[in-house]
Amino acid sequence: MKAFTGIFFTFTALLLLASCQQESNNQADDELMQGEGIEVSDAWARPGAEGRMSAAYFLVSNFNDEDDVLTNVEADAAQTAEVHESYEREEGMMGMRAVPQLDVPAQSSVRFEQGGLHVMLMDLTRQLSEGDTFQLTLTFQSGDSVSVDVPVRL
Amino acid sequence: MTFSTLRSAGIFLSCLLFIFLLTSCGPDRLDDYSDESFELVNQDGESVTFPDDFRGSPLVVGFIYTNCPDICSFITANVRKIYNADTYPEGTQFALITFDPERDRPGVLKSYAAAFEMDRAPFHFLTGPPDEIETLMNRVNIRKAVSSEQTTDSGESIYFLSHSDKILLIDSQSRLVFDYGGSMTPVDIVAEDLGKL
Repeated sequence: MKAFTGIFFTFTALLLLASCQQESNNQADDELMQGEGIEVSDAWARPGAEGRMSAAYFLVSNFNDEDDVLTNVEADAAQTAEVHESYEREEGMMGMRAVPQLDVPAQSSVRFEQGGLHVMLMDLTRQLSEGDTFQLTLTFQSGDSVSVDVPVRL
Repeated sequence: MTFSTLRSAGIFLSCLLFIFLLTSCGPDRLDDYSDESFELVNQDGESVTFPDDFRGSPLVVGFIYTNCPDICSFITANVRKIYNADTYPEGTQFALITFDPERDRPGVLKSYAAAFEMDRAPFHFLTGPPDEIETLMNRVNIRKAVSSEQTTDSGESIYFLSHSDKILLIDSQSRLVFDYGGSMTPVDIVAEDLGKL
């Protein structure tokens, strides 16, 4: 009986979590319907030393009716910028791999976030500290190009 | 009431008692580094003996390499946020130790620390001779392996490492008390645990 009660409460908790997640996704979809073209929002980046590394994170949304592909990234504070993805290779071991092209399907968004997709900024041309900003430019297969100011923070 | 019902109730109460005893004894010690001694160097080029020089103070320690753009900057930021939470015991020290000593020399660590506005007490960015660092990393169960190499647009060859993702809490007697996923554990949980030391 106790086992059944435990399973019941666990199942109920999972259902509640799932419904919250669904609500969150729906909110994102509602927001998605309000834009047009390709938009980049919530951009930010980590601090980094000159000559070393940083990473930029953001939400990229494709409001178009056609799928698109992110093909190039550039930053005015780094010699090289590339899309990479962190992932757990095995228990407790984090690895990173390049993502040369990233699909951004029609009417959807892709989030770049810590521990996942990110724009890797290599060979920084200046120190990036909290409060600084730099410009990031994303170019898509469709020919669209989006530039955003990226604030640096912890 | 059947025998099997009584037996189930007995097992359930025993489990409750076991959990109660576990939680009432305070943080368990996961490991003891008090007999260890590693000769390291901080971002100012000063000698630091780990963990001896931190004995007497709780220590928050993360493991990084500065050519890591995502996970290690995440770990570094988390250590800074634990400090910012201001719930730590007086005298707590905060260290970040590189597992890439060939590239992360003191000057490199100093620039990295400055970018995070952590080039000051109570933060310590530590490196050391490669064999000493390797022995230390083995002792604290930090693993690393070269995962890829590439050339930057300026022609510099660069390699990346797969690595463990950890932040440790060490008590004032150099004993390991908590072991977290360095980038994934919410900062408030670490800060709360630190307040128990």
